[in-house]
Amino acid sequence: MLEFDGLRKSYGTNLVLDDVSFTVAPGQMYGFCGANGAGKTTTMRIALGLARADAGEVRWKQQPVDLEVRRRIGYMPEERGLYPKMPVVEQLEYFGRLHGMNTAAARKSASLLLEGMGLGERSKDALEKLSLGNQQRVQLAAALVSNPDVLILDEPFSGLDPTGVDALAANLAERRSRGVPVLFSSHQLDLVERLCDAVGILAGGKIVASGTVGQLREREANRQLRVVIPGSDGRWARDLGYVRVDSDRDGEVLLQLDDPGRDQDVLSAAMTSGPVSHFGWRQPTLVEIFREAVAA
Amino acid sequence: MSHPAGVDEHTADTSSYDRTGDVRMTSSHIVGLVARREILTRLKDKGFIVSSIFIIVLIMGSVVFQVLIQSGASSVAVGITGGPQYFSAAIEEQADALGLDAEVTEYDDESTAREAVQSEEIDAAVVDGNSVLVNESLDDALGAAISGAINGLTLAQRLTDEGVNPDILQPVALDVMSLQPAADAADEKGLVAFVSILLLYTLLIFFGQFIAQGVVEEKASRVIEVLLAAVKPWQLLAGKIIGLGVLAFAQLLIICAAGLGGAIAFDVITVPGAAIATVVQVLGWFVLGFTLVAALFAVCGALVSRQEDLQTVLLPMTLILVAALVLAITAGQNPNGTLAKVTSFLPALSTMVMPVRVATGSVAWWEIVLAVILMLATIVAVVRIGGRIYSGALLGKGGRVKVRDALAAERVS
Repeated sequence: MLEFDGLRKSYGTNLVLDDVSFTVAPGQMYGFCGANGAGKTTTMRIALGLARADAGEVRWKQQPVDLEVRRRIGYMPEERGLYPKMPVVEQLEYFGRLHGMNTAAARKSASLLLEGMGLGERSKDALEKLSLGNQQRVQLAAALVSNPDVLILDEPFSGLDPTGVDALAANLAERRSRGVPVLFSSHQLDLVERLCDAVGILAGGKIVASGTVGQLREREANRQLRVVIPGSDGRWARDLGYVRVDSDRDGEVLLQLDDPGRDQDVLSAAMTSGPVSHFGWRQPTLVEIFREAVAA
Repeated sequence: MSHPAGVDEHTADTSSYDRTGDVRMTSSHIVGLVARREILTRLKDKGFIVSSIFIIVLIMGSVVFQVLIQSGASSVAVGITGGPQYFSAAIEEQADALGLDAEVTEYDDESTAREAVQSEEIDAAVVDGNSVLVNESLDDALGAAISGAINGLTLAQRLTDEGVNPDILQPVALDVMSLQPAADAADEKGLVAFVSILLLYTLLIFFGQFIAQGVVEEKASRVIEVLLAAVKPWQLLAGKIIGLGVLAFAQLLIICAAGLGGAIAFDVITVPGAAIATVVQVLGWFVLGFTLVAALFAVCGALVSRQEDLQTVLLPMTLILVAALVLAITAGQNPNGTLAKVTSFLPALSTMVMPVRVATGSVAWWEIVLAVILMLATIVAVVRIGGRIYSGALLGKGGRVKVRDALAAERVS
């Protein structure tokens, strides 16, 4: 378990993190969402010892994360950075060794990663000679080269083309299947929704929602019932005393129930006004959950 | 506290990677890795290699220059035509007494001797033992040697003519009692010390710049974030100092060995033992001085985020080195003066002033020990406090980090 417990951090009078707690389990892909400046990067940097929390701590396997543990963490910082003039394979080897690998293992892992990313032929080139997209791939490789027990990636998908996104997603899935907890932050909520087992939403330095996407959906306060009766108008619904109609267009009605238990009553009423082609609770997208959580 | 979901709580907390080949990450191992990278990177860096060769050539050039000046002054070629018996041997003997190495050639007549002077084959030609041909003017020492030879021979001839045995002119052998022993050796030690100090100054500035640039590069490229997630700041600092220190020391050894070898071979130095002792002493001071300068330059480098801002923060450090050089030269002229004595104890300045004092003046053993102890204490203090500034400043973003902020931002690990 990777546990973030009660992290608090302020810069001067500016409170950046206010009691941030969440947990990433082994083999879990945890998506960390939040607007710019919400505190995602600060949270991750505290885990890596690059910033100091005013209170709270980060634990891995019940032990506070120290330098020994950090060597087993693969980290991709928000601000990318490697040695511009150093050949890529040598950098990866260097980082592998700094994380405790022996020379042969580091060399092998570096070559394998570069080949897997289609950069095998560029491995002796200086980093600055590569395109930005390829530099991004090398940065990820630097986080993965030591085969870390934990992955903490700050915006790993930003700047990648769709092929790059798929390749990275596949790579992370492989790590997850080995039991590695993966924590990554992203602005791309559709991506988080697609890839993640669990999501944490950070707003104003607080975790405002956390859990599996399913749990977050259930917790959604304004759940909507979607009923489609082709050709009808929505008067049948407005006549029901116990619902509130959110929208009514081309036979599709979105409504909320004061008492969610009366959904079958709505179905009966709908069926009397025409042939029902769709009836069901609408799945809110992560974007909607996010908006609501952040607004609350 | 939220609960993780969608995952079996009993999932093992270990991943399935093979860790059998892993290395125990001791501090010395990490420092070694950092140092190794510094050395390999520099050796592949064209800029570093070119500037290194430039420095070596510069130092060697100055040694060769010294050789040329010295040999030009000490050896002369003289031509003679006619003149008294034993003239050539007398000139050589007189010249030798005056510290000149004269090579005497006999010419058949005046015109060939004149040609030799004109073509600068010889410095002067003595015709018939009474006139001297030169291109512009006669070197004073050479003139004295020639007239001394003529006078001596003429006097001996007259004495013989008068029936007196010229052997009565044999000088009485003098017992020389030197009040300031080996003044010659001290001069040479002074020369060696001066060249060494110049070399030391050049290398300290050169490698100090490289260290600072390396620190800024890591900060500017943000690779520092990745590094410090796995390495402690002091380990990074130590690795850099050791890595570049090895390169600097190797460069110094090459220059010293070649310079000293060349100087001994060309007789610029006639007392090799004293010169070697001076060089060894300078090497020792270099190790101390390099450690201090490298740490100071690295800390300064950590305060800025761009190479453009580097010179501004390095200026005070560079000025200290310039001051040390000037004081060392001054100390060479007046090694027992108060200024030389005081500055030879002040850390950083002592690196350059003390070797000069030792080479040219008289220094008690306890003075050297005291200077070394003061220097070591300063190194420890700079590495301690500087290390805190370094680690605090490394992660600071944007423009310049203030020293106070850097100290306040000290990391946990």
